[in-house]
Amino acid sequence: MNLLFAAVIGVLFGAGVLLLLKPDLFRVVAGLVLISNAANLTLMASGLTVGRAPIQPAEGAEPVSDPLVQAMTLTALVIGFAVTAVLLALSYGVYRSRHSVDLDELSRAEVREAAEDEAREAAHDDERELDEVIG
Amino acid sequence: MSLVALPLVVLWPAAIVLALLDGRRRGPGLVAVGALAVVFVLLAVLLGKVSTGGAVELVPGGWADDVGIRLRVDALGAVFAVLSCGVLLAALLQAVLTGVSSRTVPALTLFMALGLTGLFLTGDVFSFYVFFELAMIAAYALTGAGGGGRPLGAAFIFAVVNLVGSFLFLIAVGTLYRATGTLEMQAVAELAARLDPTTAILIAITFFVAFGIKLGLFPFHFWLPTVYLSVAPPVAAMFAGALANIGAYGLLRFGGTILPAELELSAMALIAIGTVSIAYGALQAIARRDTREVLAYSSIGHAGYVLVALGLGGPIGIAAAVIFSIANALNKTLLFLAAELRGRLAATAFLLGALSVAGVPPSAGFFGKAALFDAGIDAGSAITVVLLFVGGALSFVYLFQIYQHDHWRPREERGRAMRTEPAGTGQRAVAFALALVVLALGLWPEPLLAIGEQAGQDVLSTGGRR
Repeated sequence: MNLLFAAVIGVLFGAGVLLLLKPDLFRVVAGLVLISNAANLTLMASGLTVGRAPIQPAEGAEPVSDPLVQAMTLTALVIGFAVTAVLLALSYGVYRSRHSVDLDELSRAEVREAAEDEAREAAHDDERELDEVIG
Repeated sequence: MSLVALPLVVLWPAAIVLALLDGRRRGPGLVAVGALAVVFVLLAVLLGKVSTGGAVELVPGGWADDVGIRLRVDALGAVFAVLSCGVLLAALLQAVLTGVSSRTVPALTLFMALGLTGLFLTGDVFSFYVFFELAMIAAYALTGAGGGGRPLGAAFIFAVVNLVGSFLFLIAVGTLYRATGTLEMQAVAELAARLDPTTAILIAITFFVAFGIKLGLFPFHFWLPTVYLSVAPPVAAMFAGALANIGAYGLLRFGGTILPAELELSAMALIAIGTVSIAYGALQAIARRDTREVLAYSSIGHAGYVLVALGLGGPIGIAAAVIFSIANALNKTLLFLAAELRGRLAATAFLLGALSVAGVPPSAGFFGKAALFDAGIDAGSAITVVLLFVGGALSFVYLFQIYQHDHWRPREERGRAMRTEPAGTGQRAVAFALALVVLALGLWPEPLLAIGEQAGQDVLSTGGRR
C-alpha cells in the first residue's frame, strides 16, 4: 500500500511539474491542481492505519483508524478548491485584458508596454534638454 | 473570553461583514482601520502579558486538553503578531486616506490580518498551514484587486510560485506527522529530536524551501520584484512589512524550535545562501532607478541578513534574527509608505527610513544591525562582520540615490517623473508617524532588545536536544 501511494504521489507531482512548465495559463493551473492533489495524498499516506471507523462513543478494544489525516486532507482539499477558484479567476482576468492565455505572448506584450513607457520617458527627457537649451 | 482568542474573534466577523460592503467608500474603510486598531491594542496587551508572565495557552471550543487544537502564544509569536498588525494598520490607514480603488481592499486586508494573527498565535502545525494559506489567498487577491493586465499577471505569477511553496509545506507537514505522530508544535519538537537524521534533514529542507519562497530569498526571489512593482505602495508595504514576516517567523519556529539540530547542521549553507542574497539584492538595487524596484530588490537583500543570523545560531544569533526582522519590517513599511509622496514631511520620513536601513543611530535599524554584528563577533566569524559592513554601505548608496532622485530635483521636473497626485496631509502624517516610531525605537531600544532576547530564549527552550 505504501509503495502504491508513493508511486501515485510521484507520478502526480511529476505530471504537475511538467504542466507547470508549459507556456499556457490553464495548463499551469491544471499542473497546480495535480501538485495539490499529490500533497493531499501525502497527507492521507502519512496516517495509513487499518481499523474501525473513528466514531464516538468508542467501543471494544479494536484499533481505530487515524481520523486526524482524514480531517487534515478534507481541510486541505477545501483550501485547494478555493485556491483553484482564485487561480482560474485570475487567469480569466488576464485573458480578458490581454486576449491571450499564451505565456510567451503575454510576456511579449509586457515587454512591448515597458518599451512604450521607456520611449515616452525618453521623449520627456529630450523635451527637457531642449527646454534647457532654449531657456 | 481569553485574550488569546479575542483578536481572532474580532477579526472574523469584521472581515466577513466588510466583504459585503463597498470598500471604496470612506465609511467601511474607516471601520476596517478601527477593527485593526482594536486588534493591535489587544495584541499589544497580550505581548505585555506574555513577555512578563511566559507563554499563554488556550484550547478553544471546550475540548479536552489532549484532543483540542491548541492556541499558544509566546513572546516570539506575540511580537510578530503585534508587528504585522501595526504594519497593516499603518498601510491600510494610508490606503484609505489616499482613496481605495477597489471595493475589496479593506476586507482583504482584514482577512490577511486574520491569517497572520492566527498563524503567529497557533500552537498546531496544521492550523499554521490553514492560517498561512488564508493570509496568502488574501494577498493574491489583493495583488490583482485593481484589475488590468499587469496586476493580474503579477498576481498569477505570485499565486503560482507561492502555491508551489504552500504545497511543499503541506507535504512537509504530512511527513512530519508520519515521523512524529503528532501535530502540536511542542510535542513535535520533542519527538523530532529523536528522529533518524536522514528523515529529519529531508523534512527540514522542504520547510526551508517553502519559507524561502515566502521570504523571497535569493534562489526563490524571482516573483518578488514583479509583484511589488505592480501593486499600489500601501499594498507593497503590507507585503514587505507584514506578509514577509511569515517567512522569518516560519524559519525561526520550524528551524529554531522544531528542528534545531538540522539548523545547526546546515549553518554553513544558510550563511552562504544568505550572503548571496545580500550581495544579489544590494547590487541589483543599485542598478535600478525606479523607487519601488530598488525597494523590492533591497527586500531580497535584507531577507539574507535574517538567514545569516539564523546560520550563526545560538541564543545571540536567534535574538539578532528577531530584532533585525522587526527593525527591517518597520523600515520597509516606512520606505514604501513614504516613497512616491511629495513634500517636506514625506521627504523627512523617507530619509529617516533610509538612514535606519543603513544602520545609522539613533534608529531601529541601528539596533538590528548592531545585534547582527554582536552575533557575528560572538561566533568569531570575520566574514560576517565584513559582509554586514559592506551590505550596510551598499544599502546607504542605493537609498541615497533614490532620495536624491526623488527629492532633490527641481520641482517641475519632479512633478513629471512622479506618477502620483500630490499627497494629502493625512498620507504624509501616517508616513511621518511611522518614522517617529522607528526613531523612538532607536532612542529607547530597551523594549526591542528585551523582547528579542526573550523571543530567542522561547525559540530555543522548547526545542528538544539530540
